[in-house]
Amino acid sequence: MSRLPDPVRDGLARGWRVFGGPHAVLPERIDCDVAIVGSGAGAGVTAELLTRAGLRVVMVEEGPLRSSTDFHQRESEAYPALYQESAARKTADKAINILQGRCVGGSTTVNWTSSFRTPTATLSYWREHFGLDGMTAEALAPWFEQAEQRLGIEPWLMPPNENNDLLRRGASKLRIATADIRRNVKGCWNLGSCGMGCPTNAKQSMLVTTIPAALDGGAQLLVQTRARRLVHRGGRITALECVPVNNDGSVASPGITRIVARHYVVAGGAINSPALLLRSELPDPHERLGRRTFLHPVVISAAVFDEPVEGWKGAPQTLYSDHFLDSQPIDGPIGYKLEAPPLHPVIFTSTLPGYGRAQTELLAKFPNTHALLALMRDGFHAQSPGGRVQLRSDGSPLLDYPLNDFVMDGARRALLSMAEIQFAAGARVVLPVHERATTYASWAQAREAIAALPMQPLLTRVVSAHVMGGCGIAGDATRGVVRPDGVHWQVENLSVHDGSLFPTSVGANPQLSIYGIVNRLATSLAKSLAGREVALA
Amino acid sequence: MRRRTLLQLGIGSAIALAVVGGGIALVEPGLEPDGRLRPGARAVMGGVARGVLDGVLPADPAALDAALRSHLQRLDETLAAFPAATRAELSQLFALLAMPPGRLGLTGLGKPWDVATVAEIQQALESLRRSTLTLRQQAYHALRDLTNAAWFADPSSWAALGYDGPVNI
Repeated sequence: MSRLPDPVRDGLARGWRVFGGPHAVLPERIDCDVAIVGSGAGAGVTAELLTRAGLRVVMVEEGPLRSSTDFHQRESEAYPALYQESAARKTADKAINILQGRCVGGSTTVNWTSSFRTPTATLSYWREHFGLDGMTAEALAPWFEQAEQRLGIEPWLMPPNENNDLLRRGASKLRIATADIRRNVKGCWNLGSCGMGCPTNAKQSMLVTTIPAALDGGAQLLVQTRARRLVHRGGRITALECVPVNNDGSVASPGITRIVARHYVVAGGAINSPALLLRSELPDPHERLGRRTFLHPVVISAAVFDEPVEGWKGAPQTLYSDHFLDSQPIDGPIGYKLEAPPLHPVIFTSTLPGYGRAQTELLAKFPNTHALLALMRDGFHAQSPGGRVQLRSDGSPLLDYPLNDFVMDGARRALLSMAEIQFAAGARVVLPVHERATTYASWAQAREAIAALPMQPLLTRVVSAHVMGGCGIAGDATRGVVRPDGVHWQVENLSVHDGSLFPTSVGANPQLSIYGIVNRLATSLAKSLAGREVALA
Repeated sequence: MRRRTLLQLGIGSAIALAVVGGGIALVEPGLEPDGRLRPGARAVMGGVARGVLDGVLPADPAALDAALRSHLQRLDETLAAFPAATRAELSQLFALLAMPPGRLGLTGLGKPWDVATVAEIQQALESLRRSTLTLRQQAYHALRDLTNAAWFADPSSWAALGYDGPVNI
């Protein structure tokens, strides 16, 4: 049992206004200035800024309020409590498993802290193809700087864990550049349990930064409460209808909470944000809503080394390589970013291929196992239109993301690149995570085998932890759902402030892109609603 | 809703329905409304566990029995946290696999799950895994991933992984 300070429990004791679940009973009606759907990266930044501007803010979060005291570094507790669909959210054909947060703080509570500004090549693509003239690295720099300052985003000075250092060593043998990943941590204990909620509050997630600031400033937070529908009339939202939900997502009781606000900000994360707009039957004259949803589809390569790796220990993802993004045009064959993820028993054993004795043999080498992942940069080519969010008959969202030949060609090249790096780092054997693959003992053998693998969905293991798009931002109404200022093209008092804004994938772990871009949008929203200048830092 | 369920398949569900003849409406569901495995589904997942976890499960019959019981308990807990749409699909999959025609048609397994040998169960898993039909591949992943996730969530399983657990803070 941790005896470390818990700023969330302290805040509750101080009288934070939190409703739903085990907290105060949900009221039937709340009047406020701004209702924010969600409590993740975009919602948190927005809530703090609007509260600072003196606006009365209400946040609505579908998941529970859990904090460091509850974070026991156990996958069995974290996945059902903190993740969408118990960390088993899947695309329509079940070929991609999606990790996405569902708790106060959203994915920022459970992410692996990797912090990158939006790549300049991505911004230039957005300017050229989506009319986003203001999206330059120079124009965004001050907004990123503020977010970095507010969230302690700095170079990670501890030595990388072995799982990451193997990426560096293997890549450098092949003259492939790697670089350090900046992290949003203060006083990190280097435990490696980021994905289960930070037990020491070192991770500067929304849970311990912007949301406490907003709650201390008088904002209200509804938890275990789903934003079911935005009621609209004459091009304006008139109310947000919310219902209490159980941990499995079912409706907990028949009552409805109506939130009536001047302005509404949707920031429930990609997939869920477009789903709310779809459920609400908001205008979508150009059929953009829910489309162009991107995942950075990820393929994985495992490798066994003579020396211990202990991939569960130490900060995850502290080194990366953009070699396979930078060495080819952004609008050519799909490129990929390489990183070294944390390895924990449930995520590892449910991702690796095989069963029975072969699996047992492989798992016995878990302490000596290293893994690399390749995040494919989707959305920059006509053959990479991403997926489409639709609704099931019960109103829950379902993402259809076809893994076509264009994407799977990238998957093959990524498996080849990762295997080559792993052998260069001294791997005994390499296992591309694919149902038809086995362990290979040399680069020559792996190269030949991977070249012949059938690169099909459900045979190739594909996962995602970065959901983006679906409410795209664009310079004109035909190309997007929201305007460059984040306001809906057809609904004047509605904004979107989360990863669903992105018109393509980011091409890097998205959290800092959300913080920085939403910082700009929310600062200008605060000005227009309250007439006051505020700043995140 | 009906037309979208059964693992949301077109061709696969048509074949599965042909396999079971009467259609799924007549079949006992695999899961209780709260997500717990019904008896037929318990037999399926107990058998699948013997196939997937071969090598980590205890050999002694009494110890094996106890290990499978706690495994099925963890599966109940895992399933209870899934959304209704996921549970409905899994319920149909378990229902199909619990019935002799469904079991035979989908996996080729000629014996009930609780009497089949480990080798026979592994052959059934392999036929799902190697299938070119999406429904059967999806079934393989669902059965195998659920089994590993539930088993390796428990600290008692970690010794086989050489995993020393979270750092005590």
